[in-house]
Amino acid sequence: MAAKTDKVKVHVSHLKKSFGRLEVLKDVSTDVYEGEVVVIIGPSGSGKSTFLRCMNRLEEITAGEVVVDGVNITDRHTDINRVRENVGMVFQHFNLFANMNVLRNLMLAPVDLKKADKDTARERALQMLDRVGLRDKAEAYPSQLSGGQKQRVAIARALCMKPDIMLFDEPTSALDPEMVGEVLEVMKELAREGMTMIIVTHEMGFAREVADRVLFMDGGYIVEEGTPAEVFGSPKNARTRDFLNKVL
Amino acid sequence: MARILTVYGELLLRAMGQTLLLALCGLFFACIIGLIVGLMSVIKNRACRVVAAVFVDVIRGVPMIVLAYFVFFGVPYLFNTILGVGGVTLSALQAGTICLALNCGAYMAEIIRAGIESVDRGQMEAARSLGLPYWRAMYRVVLPQAIRTMIPSIINQFIITLKDTSILSVIGFPELVNTAKNVVANTFMSFQTWAIVAVMYLIVITALSRVAKVLERRMSRGR
Repeated sequence: MAAKTDKVKVHVSHLKKSFGRLEVLKDVSTDVYEGEVVVIIGPSGSGKSTFLRCMNRLEEITAGEVVVDGVNITDRHTDINRVRENVGMVFQHFNLFANMNVLRNLMLAPVDLKKADKDTARERALQMLDRVGLRDKAEAYPSQLSGGQKQRVAIARALCMKPDIMLFDEPTSALDPEMVGEVLEVMKELAREGMTMIIVTHEMGFAREVADRVLFMDGGYIVEEGTPAEVFGSPKNARTRDFLNKVL
Repeated sequence: MARILTVYGELLLRAMGQTLLLALCGLFFACIIGLIVGLMSVIKNRACRVVAAVFVDVIRGVPMIVLAYFVFFGVPYLFNTILGVGGVTLSALQAGTICLALNCGAYMAEIIRAGIESVDRGQMEAARSLGLPYWRAMYRVVLPQAIRTMIPSIINQFIITLKDTSILSVIGFPELVNTAKNVVANTFMSFQTWAIVAVMYLIVITALSRVAKVLERRMSRGR
């Protein structure tokens, strides 16, 4: 649905990740294009979240190569902080900074990393809050917000850094059902505007509606990938069929 | 008791001043040691964590009185007699400060480590995901939250350290207990003297706890 270009934003080849002896990602390769919305689905323990967390090296990469925006982040000499400035991430448990109000949550990174002076950062923060419909919560502390509000603030916080790529790690899994919609709405809007997005989710309806491409992961591999119509409509792999039968 | 107060009151007060001076010196360096060792025990570097753990174990495993004798008598002996460097002496205040700083520092390190570990890992991850370097994230996000949970334990440790200064009477530092011993030796009025000393400690420590309570309440606001 978004305007996907043929520029590769994230290039992953033969990515492996182990935690001690446990091999979580066995051999994962894929390319994500600019403006593309990729949704990753799969059973728990299949390595979806780990895969996502390798994209900004929140997990150290055991082997293989991940290139983000032309920068090889598996290279030890890469300044990962610079790469992360352009890769926003939204977590399952929001992770808003509990010691700061909403506005300071949004302004911290841009000001601290000298991306903007205080006034500009504040202006942008308020704009982003407008966007997620929470301008009136600028002075509130995270503990005073509902789950859905927290997650929208978290998205706004990531957007304040003007990222090219957004990673979503099960952004609605910790929400009460009635709050899932408001968060998905914000994400759809982002997708419509052409943000490159990689999303791990269990929201199959959302995946079907928003994804340009769906990856089905199981046992540390990408088992199947294709358009939502292909993956949901006529899954080729037995494990994909089995999984979709359980969740749909 | 009135006689003790009129004759030795000023002396005892001055001794209390010395006690507080020693405690403050010790606590100042203990905070620095505690912060450094505490941070060493949470970072990724394995060598740092091992050094921190060994330091804490060693200090916790040695009684303060042994540490005091060791620092005050043992260390100068090592330099002057064994190594033959000569001229190394420590005043009772210096030795006492070192003892308190090491002892309290080890416990502070544990408090700081536990405080940092009590902050949800997601806080650090979120800060890092925005591009903040590790120490910026620690300073801006994790430590401010850790300090809230640490405050009661830190105050408690301060009080323990203040009381531990009495142990340093063994190396001849003229703090309250040491001075009181001399008063008793002169007057033979054990009951009166020790009662006065106890009340003096009680007043200072109660005041400190009160301040701590206020501080704690103020820190927990705005949550």
